Order: sequence, then C-alpha cells, then structure tokens
Amino acid sequence: MTGQPRKARPRRTFSAFGDVRRMPSEYEIVTHGQNWTMRANRPSAFEHNPSSPPNLWFLTYRENSPLKAEDWEQFRDPDSMTYKTYVNLQAEAETKTAGVLEEFAEANADSALTPGQVALLGSMFTPSRYLLHGCQQVEAYIGYMAPTSYVTNAASFATADYLRRVTLTAYRTRELQLAHPDSGIGTAERGIWENDEAWQPARQAIEKALIAYDWGEAFTALNLVLAPTIDDVLVRQFTEVSRDNGDQLSWLLLSFLQADNDRRNRWSAALAGFCLQQKPENADVLRRWIARWTPVADAAAHGLGRLLETRPEHGRAADEVAAGAKAAREAFHARLFEGLEAAGEGKRAG
Amino acid sequence: MTLLKREEWQHFVRDVDWTFRYVDDEAVFPEWHSGTGKVPREAWLSWEENYKVTYPEYVATQREKEASAYAVKAALQRSTAFDNLDEGWKSSTKMHFGGVALVEYAAVLGELKMARFGLNGAWRNMATFGQLDELRHAQITTFFGHEFVGKDPQYDWTQKTFHTNDWVPIALRNLFDNMMISPNVVDLAIELPFTFETGFTNLQFVALSADALESGDVNFANMISSIQTDEARHSQQGGPTMEILVEHDPVRAQWVIDRSFWGSARAFAALTGPAMDYYTPLEHRKQSYREFMEEWIIDQFIHTIEDYGLKKPWFWDEFMRGLDTWHHGLHMGLWYWRPTLWWRPKAGVSKDEREWLQEKYPNWEKVYGGKWDTMIDNINANNVEATLPETLPWLCSMCHLPACNATQSRDGTWRVRDWSLSYGGKTYHFCTNACRQIWWKDRDNVNHETLIDRFLAGQIQPMDVGGILNYMGMTPDVMGDDPDYAAWTKDYTGRPATGLALSTAKGDQS
Repeated sequence: MTGQPRKARPRRTFSAFGDVRRMPSEYEIVTHGQNWTMRANRPSAFEHNPSSPPNLWFLTYRENSPLKAEDWEQFRDPDSMTYKTYVNLQAEAETKTAGVLEEFAEANADSALTPGQVALLGSMFTPSRYLLHGCQQVEAYIGYMAPTSYVTNAASFATADYLRRVTLTAYRTRELQLAHPDSGIGTAERGIWENDEAWQPARQAIEKALIAYDWGEAFTALNLVLAPTIDDVLVRQFTEVSRDNGDQLSWLLLSFLQADNDRRNRWSAALAGFCLQQKPENADVLRRWIARWTPVADAAAHGLGRLLETRPEHGRAADEVAAGAKAAREAFHARLFEGLEAAGEGKRAG
Repeated sequence: MTLLKREEWQHFVRDVDWTFRYVDDEAVFPEWHSGTGKVPREAWLSWEENYKVTYPEYVATQREKEASAYAVKAALQRSTAFDNLDEGWKSSTKMHFGGVALVEYAAVLGELKMARFGLNGAWRNMATFGQLDELRHAQITTFFGHEFVGKDPQYDWTQKTFHTNDWVPIALRNLFDNMMISPNVVDLAIELPFTFETGFTNLQFVALSADALESGDVNFANMISSIQTDEARHSQQGGPTMEILVEHDPVRAQWVIDRSFWGSARAFAALTGPAMDYYTPLEHRKQSYREFMEEWIIDQFIHTIEDYGLKKPWFWDEFMRGLDTWHHGLHMGLWYWRPTLWWRPKAGVSKDEREWLQEKYPNWEKVYGGKWDTMIDNINANNVEATLPETLPWLCSMCHLPACNATQSRDGTWRVRDWSLSYGGKTYHFCTNACRQIWWKDRDNVNHETLIDRFLAGQIQPMDVGGILNYMGMTPDVMGDDPDYAAWTKDYTGRPATGLALSTAKGDQS
C-alpha cells in the first residue's frame, strides 16, 4: 500500500472532465458536477434511508421525471453565466436603471402622467409584484430540483432576476404613490391581484405552476410557456402601450428588464433543445406539457389584455394583446423544435 | 434629487404573500417541505429579517468583493508562495477545498429550498440572496482549488470528493443532506444559517484565515475572509425563524438546535480539530482546538440559546468531555487510514509537539501517547507496513465517523466504548450516547447503511483494502501518506522499542 509511484504528468483540470483535449472554461470549472445528489452510482439522492420522504420526493419528481437525458452534465448555458459575471452584469444594469430613475424623478415625470396611464400602472404594473414573486418561487424550485448544477445555476440567476423585477416594481410603486396619493397605488394591489377579474387567469396560472412538482413540468410550465407568454404582455406590450400614452419612464425601465427575460429564454430554449437532442422521446413529453399549460397561459394573457384595452387613453384590444402574446410564444417554440424537425426531416430523407 | 431611501419602499418588496384561491395552501407549502408544525400559519406573518438589503445594493457590493478577491488571486498567481508552503498547511487547504467546495453548493440547494418553501415573502427574498451568496462561495472555492490541480493531483478532490464513496464524504453528506438540502425549511433555517453559519463556520473560517496568514498563504486567507463577509447577511434567516418557533414550539426548537449542534461538532472534530492541533506548524498555532471551541463556539452558543430562552443541550457534559478526546482519536484514525485521504496527514507528534499537546490536554499522553509510541517505534524499526491498515474501523451508524472515542471508566482506565441499540432485528453501533439518541429519534431518515454495512453486505468487491480504496474512488496518485515520517520520529531513534511486538501482532485492531 505504500511506495505507489506518483504519476509525473500533471493534470490540467479536474478529472471530472474526463480526458479532454480542450481546457474547460472558467464557467465550466465552477459549474461542473457541483450537485452531489446527482453523483454516479448513488443508491438514492440523499445519504439517508432510501425510502425517507426527501429521497422519495427526489425519486418521484426528479429521477422519475418523464424528461430524461443520458448525461445532464453536458448541458451548457449559452451565456456561460457565473456568479462573477452575473453580479458584474447586473450591477452595471442597475446603475443604468438608477440613472434613469433619478433623471425622471428630477423632471417630476410622474406628475405629468395621464389619468388613464396612472390607472394602467395601478391596475397592471404595480399589482404584478405578486405574480412575479410566484414566478420567483417556481424558478427557485426548478433550481432546487434540477438534475445538474448547469441548470440549477441558470435557474438561480433567473430567480434573482425576478427579485430584481419585484424590487423595481416596488420602487416605482412608492414613487407613483407619492405622486398620485389618491390613486390607490401602494394600497390596492393585493385586492386587485386577489379580486380583479382581469388578474384571475394569471393568478390561477401561477398558483397551479407552484404545485407542478415534477421538475421538468415546472420548467416547461414557467420557462417555456407562462413566462414567454405573460412577459410579452407585461413587458413588450405594456411598454408599447405606455409609450403610446406618453409614459417614457415605464417604457425605458421595462425595456431594460427585457434583457433578463431574453437571457432566461436563451438558456431555456437551449435546455429544451438539449433534451430533444439527448432523447427524441422528450419531444412528446415537452409537447404534452406545453399543450397542458398553453390554454392557461393564453387565458392569463387575455385577462391582462383587458387592462391594456380599458385603462389607458390609448389602449390596445384584449384580443390583439392575446394574439400577440400567443404569436411571441409560438415563435419561441418554433425555435425549440426547429432542430428536432430538421433532424427528423434529415432522417426521413436519408 | 436622489433616489428614494430603502426604508420608504422596501415593504413592497417584502409584502408578496397572498391567499391562494385555486390551490390549497397545504399543497403550495406541504408540511414536510415547509414544516410549520405546531406553529399557526399566520404566525409567520411577523417574520422579519434584521439585516435589510435590496437587489441593487446587493449586486453593487458583491461586484466589488468579487473584483478584489480575484485581483488578489491574480496578483499572487505568478509568485512562488505556493511552493514554499508547509505540507501540513497544504493538507489543511486540501481538506478544506475538498471538504467545503461542494458543501457550499449543498447550501445553494438549501437556500433555493427556502426561496421556494419559506413561509413568508421576506424570508423567501432573503433566501434568494442567500442562494446567490452560497453560489459565490461554491464557485470561488472551486476555482481557487482548481488552480493547484497541476501542481498536486490531491487538489482534484476539490470537485471530486463528494462524488465518491470515501468515508469522509459519506459522513459529511449524511450530515449536510440532513441539515442543508432535505429538511423542512423551518428546521433548515435554524440548522444552516443559525447553528452552522453563525456558529461553526467561524471555527473553520476565522481560525483558518488566521492560520493561513501565519503560514504565509495570503491567497487562501483572502478567499476565506472574503467568503466570511457574506455570512452576516444570509445567516439572518435563522434568528427570526427561531423567534417564531421558540414562541410556539420551544421543544422542537431545542431539539433542532441540539441535533444540528451535535452533528456539526462531530464533523468539525474530525476535520478542523486535526488541522488545528496537528497539521498547523507548532510555531504558527495560536490556540488549541479546545481553546478555540471554548472561545468561539461554546460561549457564543450558550449566550445565543439563553437569549432565546432555551437550555443547554441534554448532551452537554458528553460534548464537553469530548473536546479532550474526539479530535485526538479521529486524528489518529485519519493518520492510520491515510491511504483513504486526499491530503497528506502529518502525525504531528514530535517531542515538542507532544509537550504542547500534553500542556493543552493534560490526559493526552495517558490516552494517546502509548499508541503513538507504537507507531513511532515501528517506523524507526523501518516497519512502516505495520502502521498501515488492513481492515476498516467500525463506523458509527449516526455520524458515520470511526467509533474511536476514549472515555474514562470508574477505575480510571480509558477505553473506547460501544453504544449499541437493537432495532428491527439488527444491532446498530454508535460512537457516543448522543449519536445513539439522535439516531433513535430520527431513525426514519437516518436508518442507513454505513460503509461497514456495505462492506459486510458484499457491496464492495474484492473484500480487501484494494477493493475498499477503489470503492472510495481513491487513486494511487492521490492517496494520502505522511509527508515526512522523520519529522516526528527522529526525536525517538535509538530508544528501546517496547511497542513492536504488540503492533505487528495486533496492528490492525485499533
């Protein structure tokens, strides 16, 4: 047992990367194989009795998820996000946001808003923090349950992005409350969220998504269906309507947030694509879940569309809002399945 | 004109709970995840963190910290500092990288769990920052450890340790799965941020940071002190959770604290204890492990639990007695089973070192001196083989560490005692009375095979040391050996070797 000769050839990186020719990137070094509950040859996720409640939960909702891959550790976030790059990126972004907030406050912009735009902000924008917090929770759950640290980390940043968005919403809520003390802004939000008919389909969507416990379904429900649909209403269409109604500030601030949504869409699309590449059977699994959540998302978009239609002076018809959101989601999904269909076509042609 | 002050608007960020209409509250916050227990659901409405932070403040602060931590690393990268470090200190860093990097990641998962299942919006938001913090710690530790893989393959275990079935990570997974990743969030908020982060991480981080500077490892000191600056923020989740639990269910609060304190104490005795009292060069030791525990853990812990109206844990006397024995026995075990380690354990028992140990631990010579003499005499007789293992130690069914705690009998002799328990037709063995008691109370979760159980069940093949090392993921280029036998045996060359016959006949029965 002693006197074992030590190998002379030095390692270049962690043995977990196997015999690689390419040196892993810093992103890969700090992300690869971080979650020990996914270690190879484990009898169960946790170093517990295999039938303990936590082991059974992970067995049911992660190991036995219909969404499967040969090797989850091969997934990569297209943005290669690490903690360091994340805080750099977002500190920069928040500096920009703070600059805009300061400038518009200086100009007293909120007092110049039209009554219809104030009504839109108070009925749609400020109550949205409840919905966004629910999204934050679901994203955290995806991170908790994901079968690789490559997905967990991406979801971890997306969870924090939702907190960023809730934070900005909260800040604006207070500014608008100060500028329009009689508007109900700052006091009426929870009532609107819980009782306004326009919000109920969105509320139902997120309440149901909170109990979609299969990790793959939670990911599909939020990142592939609900978020791409609802964000099209709450961000893209809301900013457009706000600008039409002279609210440059809302237009600017929420346009900044679009960068976070785009980033989430990029890794989510990449993950869906990865699943399809790993196992063609995943296409049916994803389609089934997408089909389950699509009507829920459409109803949410239509409900919120009624606020865009009725509140501001220059509104947008609810049907048009819903159609726009649907089109945005479908364009996103076309990207997901594109590779698969091309591969399928190729196979058939061959 | 400046921005609004945080106090003017942060309540909107914190106020994000609502009443569910389309699903049951119990479905969104299932009992075994959220763990409200006897605490009325509405009691959580009063949960409030002491340390308030906003997203823009968070990213701004953290960007600065990251920049400075990596700048120091870059500045030191080209220096030869690493090559001049003492082997004992390097072993402490290898143990730290391998034993800590992925535990930080386990904490990411625990924080994500609280960000989802925490019973108050403000708590879930704090956990969102918490999971980012822990991700930072996992990444910075992994990255700093990675830097050395080219110089020494043992640093490969920075990432590898917890993917193996080595006995050390089995014991640590067992502990951290139970207190970080899988418990309900109420227990988790007390076990992870409260007992562990406000208590035990001080031991590893404050002590090790001081030792790093003493040993000339500025890079390592820079890394861990930067990590430690984050703890104050996310560890705040423990206090408010504790307040509410104590008010409604003090018995449970006491149990959760007691259990996690005990588990942490066992793990730190195995790792931090030997690093402080044996691996750190004598001239760099500031305090003994016992002194450090007394100053940094015990006083603070007692103070804290008394603040909450709780009592000392039921095992207190057993724990305090263990401060003189646990880590010495475990150190001997680690050294003896050194081929199973990803570092090079120094025995650390030269004459000067033994004098220091005897001064700090007045029973040291009586309990451990003779056993080390046997090792020394064998090595001086050129019989290193006799000091290497041929079998496995008995592992405790609760902490999964070797059952090697000497206790004093009424007649004054010191013996390693077996605490056993029969359950379901099987006899379980424990290293301490408290391990046995905790196992009994938690048996639905922790009734789980130790490495020895796996070996005896034939899961490890072939059934010899080679088979065991292979099962543990140990490779020849990594397996630990003493870095310098002469350093601690040369003081004793030429003396009559009384232990030799005993050791060759019974060397594997420790």
